[in-house]
Amino acid sequence: MVSLSNHEGIARASVQTASWFDRLTMKRFSSRRSPLIWWLMAAPAVLLCLGFVWLPMAATFGLSVVDVNVLRGMAVWRGLAHYGDTLANPDFHLALKNTAIYLAVLLPLQILVPLLLAYALMHLAGRVVSLYRGALFLPAVLSFPIAAVVWLWLFNPVVGVLNAVLTALGGMPQRWLNDPDMAIYAVCAVSFWKCFGLNLPIFAAALANVPPELRQAAALDGAGPWRRAWHVELPMISPTLFFAGVTTLLLVLDEIVGAVDVLTEGGPFKTSTNLLYFLYERAFRHFQFGEAAAVATLIMGLVAAATWLQFRMFERRVHYA
Amino acid sequence: MRLSRRTALAMPAILIAGPARSADARIDLVHLFSGADHPAQKVIAAFNDRKLGVTVVSRQEGTTYEAITTKAMAGIAAGRPPAIMTTGWKLADFAKKTLGAQDFNAIYGADRTAALMANFRPGLKEICTVGGSLIGLPWAMSTPVLYVNMTLWKQAGLDPAQVPATVEALYPLAKQLQERTGKQGLIFEVNEWLPQAFIQNAGGDVITREGQPAMDSAAAVHAIERFVEPRRMGMWNVLSIGEMVTAFQSGAIGVMASSSARQSVIRAQAQFELALFQLPGLEGRPRRMNSGGNFLAVYATNREQREAALTFFQHIASAEGFRPWLATGYMNTTVHDLPAPGNEAAHAQLAGGLTSETIWPGARGLEALQAHIEWISRIVNGAVSVPEGLRGSRQAVERLISNA
Repeated sequence: MVSLSNHEGIARASVQTASWFDRLTMKRFSSRRSPLIWWLMAAPAVLLCLGFVWLPMAATFGLSVVDVNVLRGMAVWRGLAHYGDTLANPDFHLALKNTAIYLAVLLPLQILVPLLLAYALMHLAGRVVSLYRGALFLPAVLSFPIAAVVWLWLFNPVVGVLNAVLTALGGMPQRWLNDPDMAIYAVCAVSFWKCFGLNLPIFAAALANVPPELRQAAALDGAGPWRRAWHVELPMISPTLFFAGVTTLLLVLDEIVGAVDVLTEGGPFKTSTNLLYFLYERAFRHFQFGEAAAVATLIMGLVAAATWLQFRMFERRVHYA
Repeated sequence: MRLSRRTALAMPAILIAGPARSADARIDLVHLFSGADHPAQKVIAAFNDRKLGVTVVSRQEGTTYEAITTKAMAGIAAGRPPAIMTTGWKLADFAKKTLGAQDFNAIYGADRTAALMANFRPGLKEICTVGGSLIGLPWAMSTPVLYVNMTLWKQAGLDPAQVPATVEALYPLAKQLQERTGKQGLIFEVNEWLPQAFIQNAGGDVITREGQPAMDSAAAVHAIERFVEPRRMGMWNVLSIGEMVTAFQSGAIGVMASSSARQSVIRAQAQFELALFQLPGLEGRPRRMNSGGNFLAVYATNREQREAALTFFQHIASAEGFRPWLATGYMNTTVHDLPAPGNEAAHAQLAGGLTSETIWPGARGLEALQAHIEWISRIVNGAVSVPEGLRGSRQAVERLISNA
């Protein structure tokens, strides 16, 4: 009894302490009574989003419905005409098609190759692994203008190394960046070389975090390396794969602009351009800011739709441990 | 507050020195010339060393005319325009109508403008005039010339004294060079500028004086047929301009047609005997070559900055001020007798009379220019025939100009 009443006393004291704490925090700052505190706590993030995301988005939309002369501060109302013009523009269609090609080529490559390399590195041992990992990551830290100087030399159809190797092997020399059928794939190659290392350490870290006992248990059950990878490791790293899928989509859309600008400037005759480069040209080469804003708004819509699609298709297959 | 004797003595000196320092006007010269040892830097340093009460600040804000123009627009919109900017000829219309490039006669008066322009060759004033306003100083003027790798030329058994004056005579020799040396015979730069030279030499125009697109006239079709002939003959491997320069510098190409302004870069790297010749014309047609490059335009809105810009212009218009600039490969546009060794071909072409680079009219002129370049590229790559491509260009350019 004594001990029971002691326990009761402790329990009562705990309840009293909890209710005191509730009064101090939960009740006092509950959303019904004082929503202000929650807004104050969220304010830094909300203000940053407002200043750097929502307001620029609204301003972009505002710019897209006018013809603006930034120098004279004059704007002429155009309504949705810029959207109509853009959607009817064959160059926009070509940029859209090329963007789809860039995504179709680069998105799987930027995920699969680093994933396979991460698997391979996981099974290697010794100091050479970190050296190898560093070497694979190295292109990712180079800036495109610097990397492009090297690649422009390699791609040179007359004095470049690639054609020298190709002709030594009995092939025909190619106009890598000037052939309308080849330029887009040459840009893909450079972009892949530059960016594939970004996902490598992420996948390597995710694989290293898979509990070894799961692998051992699967091995004891007779699962070979392939089944272990497919049924144990991939599900365990699926949140990382999903994260990499979303960020790589955005990376392919964004990062490719540097490669396009330095290597081909979207040519020959726009065969290697993409949506963001099309936008850049409208704004900063042709100074058509209203049209550029319409293009930017359309791109925002397309990216939002693509990301929504990714979430819809893949998130349900993600296994959160 | 007590002042020491030393402070009291120093104060008058400070009061005198203060206004003297602030009397120096500082003006920005926005340009696209890279490198600390570029002649542009030497020109500016030489001017500043003269201590004329004006300090010119060099601001390289990009490597293309479009890039520096974009940044200048931001400065103008913020009420801080560059005092002077190197402005590409193709942007002349945009510079006047949108950026607000100043009319020299309006800001300096007719007498001072005439005195300044008297330093430049007759005829150039017209090239710098847009819509009746003189908006620039013809500082950086180039023209397309023929670069010949004389080592390969001689190796092919060709006469070094006989570089033909027409493309019809040149092409068989370039073919011969290719067959005998195994190197690429000839290369042209693919843009709007070199084809303009061909079209004008055939008697046509890209855009007429009235601002109408005319790049699909019979003369233009004849010119561009001649232009793409080396491609059909299998001796022109189409490259970007960067690749072309690299390949020519390495000695892999016999003959190259490009801007005279590239010669300093090419000479610096070429390990072979290089010679420059006037760009060949077309058989049976009068020569009518074009110029290119950029002019110095004034964007300053306050009087002090404009006057400071004039002081700088007077310096670079002098023989002493212009001499270091010739190291670039741009032509001597002044009346001063200045040596420009190696650039005789360009100067001979200048003496023969040059037209301006095509000025693309209207608010969408730059877009029209790019549309034209893309149609030229389609033609050169064999994606369309010459008449189809030029017609496509005219239609695209007309649409853009009429929408402006």
